[in-house]
Amino acid sequence: MSPTLDSISAAPSESRVKDYIANTLATVLIEVSSPDGRPSIKIKARPKKVSAQFISPESGALETQASGVDITYTWPGKDFYEAWRFTVAMRVLSAIADAVDKGVVISKRDIYYSDPAIFGSQRIVDGLVDDFAFTIGVNRSALNVGAAAKGLVTGCFHWKIRGQTMADDAHFLNPDTLISRSQDIQEMEVSDIDWVLILEKEAVYRRLAGMRYHIRSAAGLGILVTGKGYPDLNTRAFIRRLYDESKSRQSTRRLRFYALVDGDPDGIAIMATYKYGSLAYAHENSTLNCPEIHWLGLRTSDIVTGVDRIGNDSLVTLTKRDRGKILAMLSNNPVWALNGPEPEGRAELLQMLMLNVKAEMQILYDGDGGLVRWLDRRMTYLP
Amino acid sequence: MSKQYLSCGSADNAHPTDIYGLAVTDKFCFSASGSSSLKVHSTLDPEFPLIQSIDDAHKLGCHHVVTNLRGSRAASIGFAGEIAIWSCHDNVWSKDRTASVNPTGSAGIWAIALSADGQYLAGVSQDGHVKVWDLNANGEEIRDYETKGSFGTCIDLSADGRFLASGHENGSVYIFSTETGRMPFSLSGLVKPVRAVAFSPGGKFLAAAGDSKVIVLYDTSSGEQVANLSGHAAWIMSLSWSNTGEYLLSGSFDGKVKVWSIDTRACVATHSETEKSIWSVRWLPKIGRSEGFATAGASRSISFYREATGG
Repeated sequence: MSPTLDSISAAPSESRVKDYIANTLATVLIEVSSPDGRPSIKIKARPKKVSAQFISPESGALETQASGVDITYTWPGKDFYEAWRFTVAMRVLSAIADAVDKGVVISKRDIYYSDPAIFGSQRIVDGLVDDFAFTIGVNRSALNVGAAAKGLVTGCFHWKIRGQTMADDAHFLNPDTLISRSQDIQEMEVSDIDWVLILEKEAVYRRLAGMRYHIRSAAGLGILVTGKGYPDLNTRAFIRRLYDESKSRQSTRRLRFYALVDGDPDGIAIMATYKYGSLAYAHENSTLNCPEIHWLGLRTSDIVTGVDRIGNDSLVTLTKRDRGKILAMLSNNPVWALNGPEPEGRAELLQMLMLNVKAEMQILYDGDGGLVRWLDRRMTYLP
Repeated sequence: MSKQYLSCGSADNAHPTDIYGLAVTDKFCFSASGSSSLKVHSTLDPEFPLIQSIDDAHKLGCHHVVTNLRGSRAASIGFAGEIAIWSCHDNVWSKDRTASVNPTGSAGIWAIALSADGQYLAGVSQDGHVKVWDLNANGEEIRDYETKGSFGTCIDLSADGRFLASGHENGSVYIFSTETGRMPFSLSGLVKPVRAVAFSPGGKFLAAAGDSKVIVLYDTSSGEQVANLSGHAAWIMSLSWSNTGEYLLSGSFDGKVKVWSIDTRACVATHSETEKSIWSVRWLPKIGRSEGFATAGASRSISFYREATGG
């Protein structure tokens, strides 16, 4: 059973984090202060087996059946390795405790560089932070450990960010608005919008934002979002929040979610990260996925057959890495399994292998009427 | 002179995904797709019933399936690159345990062809090598021709086994003599990726086609281009010669199927029942005086056609 998470309201996960930290540190302290004390720390490591992953019929997310493996590190432990594991786990936990206590966000990099000699490598820190989040049953951002904000948003909505006194409307036209941590978004008002368009590429996002597509689209008012490639957890949480808002609306007024990605294996994998989640964070996917995303394209077949009246000279040959990536996606991820939820994505991946071509977004710039006309047609035609 | 071919049946939704390959013998029609099983339909029965499903043949799906002229052996290659050899006993197909291909030498092979007797398997690789294996000698590699390294998309062996031809992504078409291991002459290729090459039954012509939407006919005795058959409006994905060599069949990405007369160098029939891409076209065995063919692709079904007999 994966823990039920609540990323929408910050309070429950916040108190869960504080409780865990307080209990763990208290137990260690008691042991340390007793003469024969053996302080220990118990962590539930994230499951590593890929084969146990499946698409949940309830959440539509990529989930994992494998529960974590309980690991206990004791001081001084049976050998040097265990003593070291205990020490680094304690160092990471105290850094988290400090950040939560002060209400600031730190990065995994900050933790590592506080003492590179003891941690040895950044991967040790990254793994422990994710394991703590998994142990407590919260998103990583609830530990106040985050990457620098990465995703960008612009559009016809209002939000209030914690620590800011006024509701911030600047992002109405400002394409440089970073997507805040989900917990920091205190209020959100999206009643004016009809659609959300997720863009893989920042360049495409800037182009559309510059043309004010979120206001001028034939499909109504909307929001433009980019995660700049593979999205970070904040961007995914933001999309999920919009999806939850949408679910509370009447069925005729539901938001429509679209994704525009490159017609290559990464584009399809990025679309699926928003829609189903990622293999690396299978335990968080059910609180971050948005099952209603429509895949606008690009599809290589549309370009090959000239449906879009775009010259197919702009197709690019697959690299060795692309072909390897497609085979890995088909063999490892249930999203593209034969009887999986994305038969269209699977067919597109196989077709890329067959034709040995991919289509990048720049193709659309030169098409008939350009990107805007293409989007208007797709977004008004699709349900 | 136009000819008329009538739809004479179909195997609807024969596969749950696109059908990428067809192979036809005097009794059987094999189909390969993005699913893990190969399907075998009967070509003897006018209803073309499914007579065998070879399940779990290729885990990630299969893109090429070929048979030898005698109809005793078949070979298939999956998306993960694995080659399987099949043989027929009492009209049932199963893995041929006497035949194998060395997996290290066959890494990266994309398209394959079988010799008429089924003894030799030829393949072209993603890095442009053209190889031949002797299936009766533990799959020993007996030829390795190196080309300029462009992705090999298609391959064919002449019926007499004397020539091999390969088509490549950079538009090159190569022809090799299997006896000398040499190229008898270099062919002027196409300007865009080649997707299909096919020798005429008598070996007089080699046809090549692909993204340039034109079928080029080469004279195999001189290497000269002797005809350009134009009429397709999309990438040509598959070619097949009729049993007598009088007609050439072609299928394209926009769903069109055309029959060309080699005599007149003209298109004599066009079929556009589907807009979904055609991945494979194959002539059927001749029954009496009537010829027919099978087509398959993104429609996931196999369609069968027979020549309308004047009456």
